[in-house]
Amino acid sequence: MSSLPTWTHEEIEARLTDYLEGLLQPEEQRAFDAHISNCEQCEPLLASVSHLLNDLHSMNEIEPPPRLIYAILDKTLGPRETVTGWRAAFAWLRALANPRVGYGFASVAATFLIVVSGSSFSWRKPRLADLKPAAIYRHADQQVHLVYARGTKFVSDLRVVYEIQSRLSQDDQQIPVQDRRPAPKGDPGQTDGTNPSSPKQQNRANGIDRNLQMLATDLQLFVERRIR
Amino acid sequence: MEQDAQLVQQCLQGDGSAWEELVRRHTRRIYNICYRFTGNGAEAEDLSQDVFLRVYKTLGSYRSAYGGFATWMTSVTRNLLIDHYRRTKRDRVTDSLDDAMPVVENKASSARRPDELALLGELSSQIQTALTKLSPELREAVILRDLQQLEYGEIQRTLAVPEGTVKSRINRGRIELARILQQMGVGPS
Repeated sequence: MSSLPTWTHEEIEARLTDYLEGLLQPEEQRAFDAHISNCEQCEPLLASVSHLLNDLHSMNEIEPPPRLIYAILDKTLGPRETVTGWRAAFAWLRALANPRVGYGFASVAATFLIVVSGSSFSWRKPRLADLKPAAIYRHADQQVHLVYARGTKFVSDLRVVYEIQSRLSQDDQQIPVQDRRPAPKGDPGQTDGTNPSSPKQQNRANGIDRNLQMLATDLQLFVERRIR
Repeated sequence: MEQDAQLVQQCLQGDGSAWEELVRRHTRRIYNICYRFTGNGAEAEDLSQDVFLRVYKTLGSYRSAYGGFATWMTSVTRNLLIDHYRRTKRDRVTDSLDDAMPVVENKASSARRPDELALLGELSSQIQTALTKLSPELREAVILRDLQQLEYGEIQRTLAVPEGTVKSRINRGRIELARILQQMGVGPS
């Protein structure tokens, strides 16, 4: 086992930063440690520099005075034009030329329009009370319920139409072509004597026919109303 | 950093808003370097303005291959700080302010306003006072490494000295600073 090289105070001082930043080779590290552990001069120096580094790294940046940026811009670009009067009121519009500001402004405006449109606010008769959050919520709640009710009715209407179609197609399939004849005239329960053993079936058939006619009329009215 | 190069190009084409953006991006850093070097808020403000004025005038000479706009600006700042130090050297009360050793200035730190003291904090204020007692070469090395957290390569490019010299100055600067603080009664308990 080779003996450790002996370092002097000057060598320790010269390599202090390398030691603190972990840049020493293993052999050098051992020599450094060996000297430090037995040196009353270098050990406190290492402690104070190490302490100083912690303090330096924890120091916050100084905030420059806000006027500094304007002073620099004035010094480099020259004094900026001072806008007064009505032009000053619209000076902020220049910022919209910047795409970032423009997009942000457009999205805020779109959101505002959507919220206002969803509320009970009327552009023809504007009232400040309509813009209250409670009024907006109440109106939005009403709108949601209305849309839901309309949707439910529409689905129900569609169901009726499909039911009619399916019944018609079922009847077409069940009745053979040669048996198709005009419905007998008469009161419910009256038979034409062709099938006297099943008067209830005849009654049911007459009932379905009447229902179909009513549904067809309703459907026609419904379709006409939709078209209008 | 690529954004800086792009802004520089826009500036050279006469885009004032690009210059404004560059100023906003770098003012804080440049002001901090100036403040840490001088230890005085008013001087730091004036020097920061001078730095940006010089950068504005010499923007055409900037090459991105130099090592980044920030490094170039730091280099300009450093040169101005050294010029300022030399210019004001004769105004300061000192008897041993040679470029060589000893590295500690005898000058007392410039008096700080109460608002500056409050901003810095007690310990930071003491370290700032100790920093201004270091020679300019060691001071700038410590500021760039330990306060601006720059890499050795960046410091080497900024100071235009070999890496060995950079390391040596940082090492000596730290040791001197620790000793000054010890003399001031600030140190590990």
